[in-house]
Amino acid sequence: MRRRTARTLIFALTMTVLVAGCGAQDAAVTTTEADDIDEVVDDDQQADSALTAFGCTVQTLLPQDSREVCGGRIVAQVFSGLAELDPVTGEPVPLVASSIETEDATTWTVKLVDGWTFHNGEPVTARSFVDAWNFTADPDNGMRNADFFADIVGYDELQSGQSEELSGLELIDEMTIEITLQEPFAPFLAKLTDSAFYPLPSIAYEDIAAYGRQPVGNGRYELMSFDPDREAVLQRYEAWAGPNPGETKEIVFIIYTGDAALQTAYLDVQAGALDVLEDVPAENLTTVDDDFGDRVVRTPTSSFTFLGLPMYDENFGDNAPLRQALSLAIDRQAIIESIFDGGLEPATALIPPVLESHRADACDTCTFDPDRAVALFEEAGGWEGPMTVYFNSGSGHEEWVEAITNQWRQVLGIDTFVYQSMEFAPYLQTLEEFEATGPFRLGWSLAYLSPEYALSDVYRSSGGANFFGYDNEEFDEALEFANAADPGDADELYQVAEDIVLDDLPVIPLWYGVSTTVHTDRVRNVTVDATTYLRVERIRVVD
Amino acid sequence: MARYAAGRVAQFVPILLAATLLVHALVFLLPGDPVQSLAGQRPLTDEVRAALHARYGLDSPFLIRYLRWLGGALTGDLGETFGGRSVSSILASRFPVTMRLAIVAVAVEVMIGGVAGVVTALRRNRYLDNVVLVATTVLIAVPVFVLAYLGQLVLGVRLGWLPISGTAAGWRSYVLPGVVIGAVSLAYVVRLLRAGLTDALAQPYILTARAKGLPERRVVTRHALRNAAIPVVTFIGADLGALMAGAVVTEGIFNIPGIGGELFRALQAREAAVIVGIVTVLVAVFLVVNLLVDLATAWLDPRTTHE
Repeated sequence: MRRRTARTLIFALTMTVLVAGCGAQDAAVTTTEADDIDEVVDDDQQADSALTAFGCTVQTLLPQDSREVCGGRIVAQVFSGLAELDPVTGEPVPLVASSIETEDATTWTVKLVDGWTFHNGEPVTARSFVDAWNFTADPDNGMRNADFFADIVGYDELQSGQSEELSGLELIDEMTIEITLQEPFAPFLAKLTDSAFYPLPSIAYEDIAAYGRQPVGNGRYELMSFDPDREAVLQRYEAWAGPNPGETKEIVFIIYTGDAALQTAYLDVQAGALDVLEDVPAENLTTVDDDFGDRVVRTPTSSFTFLGLPMYDENFGDNAPLRQALSLAIDRQAIIESIFDGGLEPATALIPPVLESHRADACDTCTFDPDRAVALFEEAGGWEGPMTVYFNSGSGHEEWVEAITNQWRQVLGIDTFVYQSMEFAPYLQTLEEFEATGPFRLGWSLAYLSPEYALSDVYRSSGGANFFGYDNEEFDEALEFANAADPGDADELYQVAEDIVLDDLPVIPLWYGVSTTVHTDRVRNVTVDATTYLRVERIRVVD
Repeated sequence: MARYAAGRVAQFVPILLAATLLVHALVFLLPGDPVQSLAGQRPLTDEVRAALHARYGLDSPFLIRYLRWLGGALTGDLGETFGGRSVSSILASRFPVTMRLAIVAVAVEVMIGGVAGVVTALRRNRYLDNVVLVATTVLIAVPVFVLAYLGQLVLGVRLGWLPISGTAAGWRSYVLPGVVIGAVSLAYVVRLLRAGLTDALAQPYILTARAKGLPERRVVTRHALRNAAIPVVTFIGADLGALMAGAVVTEGIFNIPGIGGELFRALQAREAAVIVGIVTVLVAVFLVVNLLVDLATAWLDPRTTHE
């Protein structure tokens, strides 16, 4: 008798699991169909419960030292800068500044709006900005964003220890700053939106490391508590002086860590434990539409993936036909379809499509053309021996790098490839020391929206991210010329500079990222801006 | 026994010292500049890099760095992360989480595994025994992340019974990851106990006990189980140690902020202070657990003496 009960129980349990497994499929379909989203939401319908958003391991919350998205997405809510990016147009719009003006793109006059305060009540004045900037640019303080100030007069003297402050910064009065640049630089307004230029209250300097863990900012949201292992709780700052305060009262960034962070977060959105996740993991891209129906938001981003070529190596540097042949032999669309589920945009320019100055046909050697590739490859004299390809490990680059080398093998007949898969730190070191002997993977995203940022650091001979040893005076001059130009003419001049690089082709453009965001049905107005930041301050919770 | 334990504790010191030196050396030998990897693709200026090297003591030779760390550690300062967070605060925040997870996992092993082990030993080759045999084979064969993902999908997303990630829901948060981690070891516990108990029940002293007229329940619990438990205790002790450090995968999948995940992150960031701090604590835990297992064995089987 007892044994029969046990047997029945086990049978019942087994069936439950099986039925649950079958039901899963049907459930996914019905959710999609049943989902009705009404776009118009009245204010009185807004819920009081907190918005939960995806967060990851934060290095620091000090804006002047923050270089990664994990800290950056919180910093962007806790601080407000002189200007911010309009989430829709991507244009910089003044925020704490009432006006940012210049006659010659060299001397910039910034007037502040009265009435801004930090969350501790301290008023935001010109000094809050200038002190923070001097602090950041001073190398002794080891701020990782110091180089954002490199174009301001007095930066070099400050680096060499000849002065204590940037001489190009002047306090005209309590609410006016005059900034003098070393050279005319029209995209400076866009640059001012970066977190490196955020203001700091005077208490920050008492213990800057402690402040970086619990910052008091001037942003839409006040950081109420921060547990770096679990969550950051932000509450709307009701005395925020800007024109468009945050929509929800409270935002909780839940910190996800480890290799499976995105997958776990994805399941949490499905289960309703997390409201919004930008950057859906690649594994889920095939099923994301089934899983979320119309609760998926896709946004093109500036994230640009390319292969750098060692111009310092004679095999590549003196051989333009080889570089072009390699680029022409890659069928980008095929790789995007088969490996990335179509979730990327083939790159045919250096200036990304999120910018108005983007031209889809800028590069004529970035499309798949096997015949031309073979002809150029022969002109280049072919390739002897194995070719080494470099990439950093653990970030999912293996598969597409292999696909590219397969295409090179098929189209060009290069038969042996050596894969150098390295961890990120030694990888960067190899590139920095110009030790690569073959193509290497790199990426570049815009910190601020200007074609200048897409070109300057990467291709200028003195550029910090110019790992190819690319050195073309003509390009450097063209870029300087564009930087000094009127905003109206600048785009065209940046394109001239872009064309010079594309003619030389020190890099093989591959593709641009598309960010995929999913959310629960209790939130509305999910917007990701062109710098791939989810604008959580605009999201409404309706329950 | 007390003298034995004291002697073992005294051995901890040289072992811990050697472990810290070894880990320090290994981190030192890792290629690449930790400061640069902090900065991402946009390189740092030389001046800032130099300032950061000086701040984190990366510009001094290896021995100086080690001695500086050791000096700090002896005064209770285990160093700090590149973000300026003290390693002691990380341990204080994360160690209890790992402990809780390990306790749930071991509880699952002991309770379910213990009962199943005894039941299968007593009902050998019957239906229930066969079902458990198949179930444990499946548990051992299935990779832990498959089990974890299935649990999340079925119990979390579809049924909504348990939280999928994090620790916000208190003990409920630990149920799913604890069961997943415990599941594989549970299978081993069942098998060890079944074999041990079967073996013990065939011994002459059990026949004696039964001949004395002791009730069967007492024969099993007092006489057979005590002997059969020895390999299980050894196994669970080793498992507890492994759970402390080895739950990286499961912690990651369930986003449990424990020790394993932090160790993994610190290794990627090459934060020597964090790595050494965590490993030192882990080594200490291993040593203590091992000692406890040895003492427990002596208690279970008086023939094992530590004199």
